[in-house]
Parts: sequence; C-alpha cells; structure tokens
Amino acid sequence: MKFTYKKLVLAMTAVAAVGLAGAAHAEYPEDDITYIIPFDPGGESDVTARFQEPILEEELGVSVNVTHRPGGGGAVAWSEFQNSAEPDGYEIIGVNIPHIIGQPIQRNNAGYETDNWRIVTFFHSTPNALIVHNDSPYDTLEDLVEDAKENPEAITLGGSGTYSANHLDMLRFEKEAGIDLTYIPFSGTGPLKGALEGGHVAGIFNYTMLGTEMADSVKVLAVASEERVKALPDAPTFKEQGYDIVGGAYRGVAVPKGTPDEVVETLEAAFAEANRQIAEKQEPLGFVMEDITGDEVDEVIGMLRDAYGPILEEAE
Amino acid sequence: MILRLNTDIAAGTVGLVFAAVLWLPREEIGRLSIIFPRAILVLLCLIAVALIVKGVIRPGGRQVEITGSPRRLFTVIAGFFLWWGLVEVLGFLVTTLVAFFALTWYLARVETRVTWQRLLKWTPVILGLVIVFYLTFKEVLNVRLPTGLFF
Amino acid sequence: MDMLLEALASLLTFESVITVLVGVSAGLFIGAMPGLTATMALAVLLPFTFSMEALQGLIALGGVYMGSIYGGAFTAILINTPGTPSSIATTFDGYPMARQGRAYEAIAAATIASVAGGIVGVIFLLVLAPPLARWAVAFGPSEMFWVAMLGLTLVASLSSDSLLKGLLGGCIGILLSTIGVSPVGGESRFIFGYPPLQGGIELIVALIGLFVIPELLTMAAEGRGALPGQTELRKKEVSILSIARRIFGKPVNLIRSCLIGQIIAIIPGAGGNVTSLVAYNEARRFSRDPKSFGKGNVDGVVASESSNNVMVAGSMVPLLTLGIPGAPPDAIILGVLLMHGLRPGLDLFTESGVLTNGFILSMGMAALLLLPVGLLGGRLIHRVVIRTPYYFLVPSIAMVTILGTFALRNSLLDVGIMLILGTAGYFLRLIGIQPAPIVLGLILGGIAEEGYVQTLMAAVVDPIPWLRLLHNPLSMVLAGMVVLGAATTLVPMWLARKGLLDRVDEDDGRSP
Repeated sequence: MKFTYKKLVLAMTAVAAVGLAGAAHAEYPEDDITYIIPFDPGGESDVTARFQEPILEEELGVSVNVTHRPGGGGAVAWSEFQNSAEPDGYEIIGVNIPHIIGQPIQRNNAGYETDNWRIVTFFHSTPNALIVHNDSPYDTLEDLVEDAKENPEAITLGGSGTYSANHLDMLRFEKEAGIDLTYIPFSGTGPLKGALEGGHVAGIFNYTMLGTEMADSVKVLAVASEERVKALPDAPTFKEQGYDIVGGAYRGVAVPKGTPDEVVETLEAAFAEANRQIAEKQEPLGFVMEDITGDEVDEVIGMLRDAYGPILEEAE
Repeated sequence: MILRLNTDIAAGTVGLVFAAVLWLPREEIGRLSIIFPRAILVLLCLIAVALIVKGVIRPGGRQVEITGSPRRLFTVIAGFFLWWGLVEVLGFLVTTLVAFFALTWYLARVETRVTWQRLLKWTPVILGLVIVFYLTFKEVLNVRLPTGLFF
Repeated sequence: MDMLLEALASLLTFESVITVLVGVSAGLFIGAMPGLTATMALAVLLPFTFSMEALQGLIALGGVYMGSIYGGAFTAILINTPGTPSSIATTFDGYPMARQGRAYEAIAAATIASVAGGIVGVIFLLVLAPPLARWAVAFGPSEMFWVAMLGLTLVASLSSDSLLKGLLGGCIGILLSTIGVSPVGGESRFIFGYPPLQGGIELIVALIGLFVIPELLTMAAEGRGALPGQTELRKKEVSILSIARRIFGKPVNLIRSCLIGQIIAIIPGAGGNVTSLVAYNEARRFSRDPKSFGKGNVDGVVASESSNNVMVAGSMVPLLTLGIPGAPPDAIILGVLLMHGLRPGLDLFTESGVLTNGFILSMGMAALLLLPVGLLGGRLIHRVVIRTPYYFLVPSIAMVTILGTFALRNSLLDVGIMLILGTAGYFLRLIGIQPAPIVLGLILGGIAEEGYVQTLMAAVVDPIPWLRLLHNPLSMVLAGMVVLGAATTLVPMWLARKGLLDRVDEDDGRSP
C-alpha cells in the first residue's frame, strides 16, 4: 500500500512541477536510496561503497542502503537492473569497466547491454600494473620483454579473470611488444597474492593496489596509467618505457535510462563529495580518484571499447 | 508406502537424464570452459551405465519406502512451490503469513480436528514470529525483501 | 612477550569483554540460521565497526566469526541441517544422537570440542604464524587440483551403502558447480539461455536445499517433530563433566582433529568447508569401531566441531602474514585491516603487535566464552525445538530457510533453486543417493576445475602438458595421498563386499 501511495504522491508532485519548473525535483531525494553492489561483500567495490555510504547519507539527507547481488561477475545484477529498476534515482547500481564492455561481447547472452543505462559517474580507477616478486630475475620491463622474445609462451603471468581488464591489457602489451606470454586467470586478488608469493607464476598483471599491499615483497615493473600513481612513485608507466598502454578498471554508479537530469546531478555532486573525503584513505592504497561525468563517461567507454573491442572480437 | 523399484537402475537413469539435460541444449562453449565439465560428464555417464548394469546383474535395494503419508508429502511440496511463486506477486510478508497459517492448519489436522478457537489461539504466535523475522531481515540485515502488491 | 601481556591487558577491560560476549552471541544466532553465513554476519557488522577503534572493531568481528562457525552445530544436531557449510559432518552423528534422545549430549560435546578447537587454533596462530604462512603459499594450481581430488576421495566413505551411487552423487555435485560462468575462460555455461543463471548454484543454496527440505518433507509426511518428546529425553541426560571427561580422557581424536583442522585451514580456498569432513573421515578411519559412526558416535561430533573451530584462527595465518584470505569471511577482516591502515605482513606482528596480538587473543577469549553462551543457548534452542509441535516447526523452519536463502544474494531465483534441489534431494535419498556427496562435489568442483585448467594453461610449452600436475615434490606427495586414501577406503570395502554378497542396503537409522 505504502508503495503505490508514494508513487501517487510522486506523480502528483510531478504534475504540480509543470507549473513550478523543476521545483519538485529539487525535493529529491526524499526516500531511502538502495545502492546495489553486484559483487560479494569484502571486495573493492563493496569496501568503497561502505566508505561512501555515510558521506552520501550526510550529503543527500536520506539513508543509503548498500545491498549485494553477486553472481556471474556482476552480470546477474546488471541484467536485473536494466530490466526492472525504476528511473527515479532511488535505485542505483555499481558498474565496472571493462566488465560491462567485455561481458556482452563475449557471452552468448549476458542479459544486459553496455549502454542501456545512464552512468552517473566513474569515481575511481585502478590502473593495471605488471608486478613480479623480489626474487624474480626481471628488474625492468625490458628484462622481461627480452626473455619473452627468446622463450615465447614460457613466461606465465597471473591475473584476475578471463577477458578482465588485466587480461585485455596484457594482450595489448603482447601486441605492442611483439611477444608471446601465457596468461593464467585466477579468481580474485587473494589467490593471486598466493600464486606470486609461492612462485607459481612468473609475475602478475593486476591492479596497482596489489603493488602497494605487497610493497615489501614485490617489484612493480610498469603501471598502465598516463602518469605515475601517487602510491607508487618509483614505478614507471608503460608509456615512459615506450608502450602505449593505458587501462585498468573503472568503478562508478549508474541509474536507469530516463532518470531526470536533476536527480543525476544531485547524485554526481554527492559522489564527488564522497570522493573528496575518502581520497586520503584510498590514494595510499593505489586507487586513482576520478570524477568522470556526463559526456566524459561516453568518451572513456568509447576509448576503452576501441582499445579492447578488436581483441575481444578476435577471441570470439 | 512401499514401492517396488530397482534403486540401482533408477539411480543410473537419473544420472543419464541429468547428463542429457545439461549436455543436449548447451550452446557453443570455448575449449577452456568445456574441457573439465565434459570430462566429468563422461565419468557420470560411465558410472550411470555401470549402475544400470549392476542393477540388472546384482541388484542392491529393490524397494523404496516413503515414510508417512504420500499425499501430505506431495501437498507440502506443492505448498512450498506455491509459497515461492506467490512471494513475487503478493510480497514476502503477506505470502508468508498466508502460507504459515495454511501449513500449520493442514499439518495440525493430522492429529485432531482444528477448531476456530485453536486457529485464533495461534494467530498472535504466528503473527509475532513472522513479523519479528520480517523486521529483523528488513531493518537489521538490510535485505530488500520482495514487496509485491502490498508491503 | 611484553606485547602479549600488553595486549592481554587491553583486552581485559569491561568494554572488551562485553564486545566479545555480544559478538559471540550474535554470531551464534546467525550461524544457527540456515542461509546466514559467517561472511554475511561480518558484512552486516562492518559499518558498525567503522566508528570503533581498530582493536575494538576487530574484537567484535573475531567474536562474531567464532560464534557463527560454532552456531552451525545447533541446527546440524537438532534438525539435521548444517547452519554453515563447515558443520556438514556434524550432522552425520549429531542428528542420529538427537534422534536417540541424546541431543543435549551432542550439543555439549560440540561445545566443548569447539572451545578446545578455537583455543588450539589461537595458540597455533600466536606461535607458528610465520612458518605456517610459507606452507600456505606452497599450494599452487596443480597442488590445489590434488587437494580437491583428496577431498573427493571422501565420497567413498560418505556413501555408506553403495560406492557407485556415492560417486554418481559426487559427479552430479561437480556438474552443478559448473553451471554459470566458468572460472577460467569466463564464458557462461549450461544456463539454458536464461541470463540470471549466470550466477550459478551457490553452495549454501544447495546445502540448504539438499539438507533442510528433505527433512521438512519427512517431518510433514510422517506428522512428527524433528526429535522425540521430552519424557524420553530426561532419562538419558548426561552431565557436562562426564562428557568432558570422555572427550579429554581419550584425547587422540581431539588432537588429531585439531591438527587436521589447522593444516587444511591454511590452504587458501579449501578452507573450513572441507576441514570437518576430512577430520570426520579420519576419526572414523582410525576408530576401533568404525561401524558405529553415522549412528550416533559422539567422536564424530567432536572431530567435526573441533576441526572447524580451529579453522577460525587457523585461516588467519595466511591472512595476517601475507594478506591472503584463507576462507571467505577473512576477506572482510582484510578489508577492515586495510581500512585502519594496517598492512598484512610481518610488521603486523612487530610494529602493530599489540593490536594484532590483542585481536588474536580476543579470538581465544571468544572461544572460551562459547562455553557459557553455547551451553545456555544450546539448552534454550534445544528446548524450543522439542517443545514446538511439528505443525509449527515445519512452517517456521521453511520461513527461515526461504528468508536465509533469499538474503544470501537477494535472489528469488535462489529460493527456487533451493526448493527444486531439495525436492530432488528427497527422492534421490530414497533411491540411495545421499546429499553429502553431492554437496562435496559442489564444494570441490570449482577448486578442481580451476587448478586443472590453470595447470594445463601454464604448461603450453611443455611436451606433455598434464605432467605439470606432478611437477614438484608437494604435488607428487599429494597425488600419492590421493591414491593411498582411495586404496585404504576401497580395499577393506571390497573385501567386505566379497564376504557379504547379498548385503541389503543399510538404512542408517534415519527412518524411525
């Protein structure tokens, strides 16, 4: 009963707003907001959302409930969201690149489309990084490339998932450098640390966070960002070493298509403020804070789609 | 109720049917993804065939026993599925209250006739139980329970 | 040593003790509910710990973790339903005991075993963490494959009446685990063109379905409660002291189970789901009277519950030293550590040693508090289960089951999968396919697949790729153990079969 009543009120205020030009939407938000995380609790998306939760609540003045809907590497939640969420801004969902680019291309039926929603903002990114253990014979990226030229396919690099950001950028690196490596997918970063510490892989192609978390025992050979990452000042970028590879995972939030602009703007501002406050906690961990909104969202997606698309099509 | 059934042959058939259900409608799957399930499917079929052969030559159990009343068994199974199906339509709270009452009434009838007075006496207990769990999950654990038409 | 004392001092405040107490009680309640896992308990608690100091927050989480793993034992014993995957083996003997009117004895034994296990785990963690961590990372893809195979040899002993049916169940379980997105390759498999199935079949969902639903259906069909009434019970009540004397009087079983728990807990990925099964299996193998297992032997309960509580602190070894979560709930503890600026590594034991030791000791305290909380809570829950007439019990358990299954992933589809598997499980049990091998296959299928495919991928340059599976001493030893384990279970079985050709299937005391 409550639900339909509320809808009625919303509809009526919307009608009233025709005369008052936007005044009704200035009311947003007036109800609890559900923030869906399409992954398991404890992951980076979850931890970030937990950081944001109190700040968002303060900024928006309503309570923000983080709930999990894991499954299929995010696809279950995304397909459900695109099919059933109301475009009123009371349901928002975490989105990740390259997942939302890769899965629809690669799977027979992922159940959702890359563009079938409105992405509010990408609030941070985690650039890829090529990391080897301290005991590794490679001290620089060049050492690794030379060895790979002599022994094609013999060097094993671990990463998280197949056709993930890690995998795709490693494939780009292979092309750029003209070498053949062997990629071994692991499920998540936990097992990757073990694989590196235990010497089960020659190196890992993962995110910068692992480089900072394991700072005592690893060497970061290259980072796939435009500039050096604050948390790893000594780690050179791929670009510095002559390989044009910039990429990684971007995390953001989306609302259904057709959500009013005012609502999106309110959310944008709240997330930007959240970012400002958690930067000091997340930057030392290796995250790169971003504030990608509006048209820039399409640019980023377009850029990465151009970079990854051909590789994905090839794999098909 | 005791049914005459060669359990070895039955189990083997179940295995083969399960394998067929997975294997036949499959879509195209890459080599890396199919290598492991295919090996297990082959293994499953071998075991199933072995069971059927054993069932013919040297059967193990020849009968199965459904303890209690089969009619109650199937009614309760149907009830559970109905409960699940209605959650989406009526919402969790309403469906659960209805299902709880119905199941309690149905199962209590086994012992004695259920009078209106007894049903009334249960009402506060059932209401309390369902609402406590509903609120705990909704408010404390932050679970978004299906709302349906009402709550 | 100073640090240890300092940590102990900071722990013995009124505030800390209350935090642990509340944590343990909350964890116990959550663990006892089918569907609510330790991971979920920790995730829900997480926002509350933000406002606390680092130590206080960690203490609370440690208490909840310990309590929830133990809480699973209650439902395992009382209604044949493991509340968490780590208490599957507790049902094997715990429920038969309860059916014989010895429920309280089983609960008390489980409590004492859990306390002992919890404390042993803490001691291991305090004393041996750094060397044990080396052992943890020794397990690469090929080793994990063998670990999974080793786990699968348990199928042989889990299938009491027919080995073939047990293997069939195991295969069905493994295949169920392959539904959804493949761990290596990333494609969707066996989803019948239905996108929501990409989420696959979650272990807990299958666990609840296969264990709870058949039990509920049996209760409904037979028109009886889970346990015999109270009058029968009184006669057989045993004092806690005598149970304790029985457990500690012959400590071999307890010590063995704790060691197994510790060794397996450290292997990342295998975790607590398997520890109790392995410990149970070994307890039976070495018992003088293996036939009594599965019919209400208290040693089975002790083995299962002591080993899974060792796992709580045990799985922290790779977490605290290397940042590798040994079990799913550990991922959340890692998040809290990072949030408070604590990086896992040896620094954690030196620089921030007071905090780390405080956390570890608090888990020991949580284990100790299980004794009063568990015995009291156990008595309460036991009484509720016995006094409640079955026509209330069936819908109540069904409601909690549906809620728990739904809450796990906010998925109504999961509830449907749970019901379908449960109904199928009821009929499969009739024809001799038990739920335990299916669940075991489901647990180990993913681990085996990942290990196998990763190993083969790494071996692209080798002339014979699958030889990689045996490329180092550890994997060879593990492979040897698989062969040995299979042989020691199969050979006696074969011999028995030869002598007893016309053996009729045993109905292990489940029907009344």
